[in-house]
Amino acid sequence: MSASILRAAALAVAMLTAATPALAHKMKLFATAEGATVAGYAYFSPGGRARDVPVTAVDGDGVTVFRGRTDAEGAFRFPAERRSDLTIVVSGADGHEARFTLRAAELPGTLPGGPSAAAAPPPAAAPSGPPPDLAALIEASVARQVRPLREQLDAYEAAVGMRDVAGGLGYIIGLAGLAYGLSMRRRLRAGRES
Amino acid sequence: MAHIPDGVLSVPVLAAGAAVTIAGCAYGLRRLEAEDIPRVGALSAVFFVAALVHFPVGPSSVHLILNGLVGIALGWAAFPAILVAVLLQAVLFGFGGLTVLGINVAIMAVPAVLCRLAFDAMRRTPAAAGGVAALGVLLTALAVALVLTLSGREFAAAAKLTILAHLPVMVIEAAFTAAAVALVLRVRPDILASGAPGAEAGR
Repeated sequence: MSASILRAAALAVAMLTAATPALAHKMKLFATAEGATVAGYAYFSPGGRARDVPVTAVDGDGVTVFRGRTDAEGAFRFPAERRSDLTIVVSGADGHEARFTLRAAELPGTLPGGPSAAAAPPPAAAPSGPPPDLAALIEASVARQVRPLREQLDAYEAAVGMRDVAGGLGYIIGLAGLAYGLSMRRRLRAGRES
Repeated sequence: MAHIPDGVLSVPVLAAGAAVTIAGCAYGLRRLEAEDIPRVGALSAVFFVAALVHFPVGPSSVHLILNGLVGIALGWAAFPAILVAVLLQAVLFGFGGLTVLGINVAIMAVPAVLCRLAFDAMRRTPAAAGGVAALGVLLTALAVALVLTLSGREFAAAAKLTILAHLPVMVIEAAFTAAAVALVLRVRPDILASGAPGAEAGR
C-alpha cells in the first residue's frame, strides 16, 4: 500500500513541476537598487523562489511605475526613472502577498527627484566630495558588497528557529494545564455543593 | 496558503470568519470534558508543528495541515485546538496574521469538524480515516479559493493553484492519518469509539 502511495505522490509531484506558480507559508520580497535599476526577487520562507508571480511597483505619489512578473528564478528588474520611495508588491492569485519599500536614498542622485524626494540633499553639492562618476562607482561597489548581508538579514527575520517551536509547545502545554485545572476546580466545587 | 496573510481579504470576509471561529470555539469548549483536555492540547501541538514540515512542490513548497487528523480525534474541540495553534503560528512564525486569525482558523477547523462527521458516518477503518483526511485538505484548499473569490479574486485561478499544490499534501496526510488511526484502533479503540467527543468520559 505504501509503495502505491509513494508512486501516487511521485506522480503528483511530477505533474506539479509542469504547473505554474506556488504556495507556501509566507511569501517574502527583497529588492535593491543597482545603479538606476531596481532588482529583486520573491521567495518563500521556508521554501524556494516564487516564480511567475505578478509584481507591481508604486512610487511615492501613488503612480504605478512597473508592472510585470517574476522570472524562472523568482527575480525581476526594472529601471527607476525618478528618485522616489518605491513600494514593490508581489501578489499571487492564491492569496500570497508580500511588499517591500525601497527608499529613495538608495537610488542614485543623478535621477530627477520626485516631490517626495525633494528634501533629500543633492549629493553632488558637497564641494570636497569625489567627482560624480567616481562617487557612482563607489556607490555601486558598496551596494554590491553589502547586498548579500542585507539578503541574509531579510531572510533571517522570517526564519523559524527551535526557540519559536519550543516556545509555542510550552504555551500549548501551559494553556492545556490551565484549562484542565480550571475545569477540574469547577467540577470539584459543583461536587461539594451537591 | 492555508495561512492567508494580512491585507489580502476584505473586511466582511474577515468578520464572517471571526464569527464562525468564535461560535465554533464556544460550542467546542462547552462540549469539552476535562478528561479530554490533554488530548486537545496534544493535537493542538501536533497541528502547530505540522506546518513546519514543508516539502517542495513544483516551483514552490507546501506544508502539512493535518486538520483531518485533528478533526477525527477531537470533533468540535478541533476549533479551540486549531485556534491556539494558528495564533501561535502567527505570533511566533509569522504565518498568516492577527487580523486574519478568525478566517484562517475557520478555513481549517470547519473541514476538521466535517471530517469527524464523515468519519462517524462510515465504518471506522484506517482507510476511511485516510480518505476523510484527504477530504479535509481538499475542503481547506477550496475554502481558501472561496474566501479569495469573495474578496474579489478570480475563483478558477485561485482554486486551480490551491488544489493542485495540495494534491501531494492530501496523499501524505491520508497515509499519515490512516497510520495514526490504525494505531489508535489497535491500542485504544475507545478513544474513537463514540460519535461525540467526550461521550466516552461518561463511562
